[in-house]
Amino acid sequence: MPVTKWLVFIVALLVWAAYFYYMDQWIMATQGLPVGADMMPV
Amino acid sequence: MRIPVLLSLAIAAFALLAPDLVLAAGEEMATVLEGAPQPSRLDYPMIGGVSARTVAWSMAQMHLFLAAFVLAVPLFAIATELMGVITRDDRYDNMAREFMKITMAAYSLTALVGGGLLLSLLVFYPHLMGYMVKVFRGQMLIYAALFGLESITLYVYFYSWDALRRGNRKYYHMSIGLMLNTVGLTLMFIANAWVSFMMSPAGVDATTGAVTGTIWEATRNPLWNPLNLHRFLANIAYGGAIVGGYAAYMFLAEKDPAKKAHYDWMGYTSNFIAILGFIPLPFAGYWLMAEIYAYSQQMGITAMGGILAWLFIIQAVLIGTIMLAANYYLWSGLMRTDRGAQYAKYVKYIAVVIVGGFLVWVTPHTLILTADEIQRLGGTHHKILGPLGIMPAKNTAVNLMLVFTFMSFQLFYRSSRVPVVKWAKAGNMAVIALYAVGIANIVGAGIYGYITPTVYKVGASVPQVVSTLSIIIFAVIIDVFMLRGARSEKVHWGRMTERSQYALFVLPVAFTWLMGLMGYIRSSLRTNWHVYTIMKDNSPEAYIPSIGEAGNVITAITLGFMAIMVFVFWLSRLGATKQKGTS
Repeated sequence: MPVTKWLVFIVALLVWAAYFYYMDQWIMATQGLPVGADMMPV
Repeated sequence: MRIPVLLSLAIAAFALLAPDLVLAAGEEMATVLEGAPQPSRLDYPMIGGVSARTVAWSMAQMHLFLAAFVLAVPLFAIATELMGVITRDDRYDNMAREFMKITMAAYSLTALVGGGLLLSLLVFYPHLMGYMVKVFRGQMLIYAALFGLESITLYVYFYSWDALRRGNRKYYHMSIGLMLNTVGLTLMFIANAWVSFMMSPAGVDATTGAVTGTIWEATRNPLWNPLNLHRFLANIAYGGAIVGGYAAYMFLAEKDPAKKAHYDWMGYTSNFIAILGFIPLPFAGYWLMAEIYAYSQQMGITAMGGILAWLFIIQAVLIGTIMLAANYYLWSGLMRTDRGAQYAKYVKYIAVVIVGGFLVWVTPHTLILTADEIQRLGGTHHKILGPLGIMPAKNTAVNLMLVFTFMSFQLFYRSSRVPVVKWAKAGNMAVIALYAVGIANIVGAGIYGYITPTVYKVGASVPQVVSTLSIIIFAVIIDVFMLRGARSEKVHWGRMTERSQYALFVLPVAFTWLMGLMGYIRSSLRTNWHVYTIMKDNSPEAYIPSIGEAGNVITAITLGFMAIMVFVFWLSRLGATKQKGTS
């Protein structure tokens, strides 16, 4: 069980990371602020 | 039971007989395009040495406190009543009735202060009121009619509780409650239209203020909906906090363990309601502020770039107080269950985040300094703490505080349930991973705000909000499945320290003060205008009061309101007290 537990943890980390990554991209894009065109001088 | 049907028919008949009033449709333009009045200083009635603004301000603020309370309580009373129907547990029903009992005692006071507000406005600001009546015309009559309907539905809802308690009758009762809430919310939306019109007028000529549009155009002004959402959520949080104060009062006053247990449960539920309303509140406030900026940059800068910005520091102190009090109460609640102690070790970590977030939020960007201090500091911004004064840091802090407040709540409900599903450990790991990635995303978006232009900095606050809400929603969903069929541990309601109850007193006091302070900011944004850019305020008090003066007035109103609430609590207790020897 400990192995399964940590395996689930790693998979979950990847799944949540993908979720938050695409969520960020989508929200910024819907605001007309695509990530990638954002590194203008501050 | 035909009352709901009759009331619906009455509204329908009213709509048919006076469609212009109800729908604001087919309305003709004002025949004479007369501009907004421009009264001179001498046109404002002077009555002795009375400060017109302080009287109107006090009445408006007190009315808002009471109205927010009496509108919010029926909202969660009906939700609690529904819980009673779903769970078939009479405790919910009794609690919902008790919520309403407190409202009943406060309702007449709300109307009384509302009458006082109207009177003070008519006496001291007749030209403004004349103009407002011209803009909103029949809507003011609808408001009066709805107020009557609100009174009828409120009394019927409360007094029919026992008569309509079982079987199908319960649904009739809940229908009355639904109608009460519909009318109550409509009343609030109408009043919000008047207030927001004064900030962002619409449906009138932009230079003269002549009425050129319909009532609906004036109602649907740019700040109406942000204000509606903000006040709706704030009312829920506020109502929950006040009822929590009542429960704490009763908990401390009662000697009977069974009654103590009941009020402990009521206090817990009220705190839950207050947090539920509070979690999305900063986001609604953020939207309102963004809309204020979008409507008028000058107005936005007056709020957050000038002297009023210091009140946002006081706001941070008060919100930090609310967060700490709500969390402290939840941590104290861990002792209600035998398993609660095993979660106590996490409390210190949560406390570090809450206090840390509070300190970041309270850090000002620009300091008020003497020339000597500026020289020693090397500028107006502190080298290390200065960066914490801008919005990405504040947004990160508030989102983390909300995530960890939810975690405190999660610890409590998990302390009374032991999951029995096989995948419980894996489920826990998924939840831990959710927290880890979600928090990293909130912090990352905050850092991103420092390295990108302002427009991206503002835009990045939205993913932060969605991250917070995602953590809460996904954690709840996983818990719902994981705790299905869970072994319940006994919750010893009433097994709480007396000092924990004082946290429940802190909440309504901090909320009341906060609402007063923020109301002062919102109202001050109009600067020397009754109706922004349309109708100038030429009265002797047409200036933004100093923070010190405003602080005194708001504190006096807060103390007055608290005195009223103590009276209301005492009255509710008195109503349930029987003289010895009577049955």
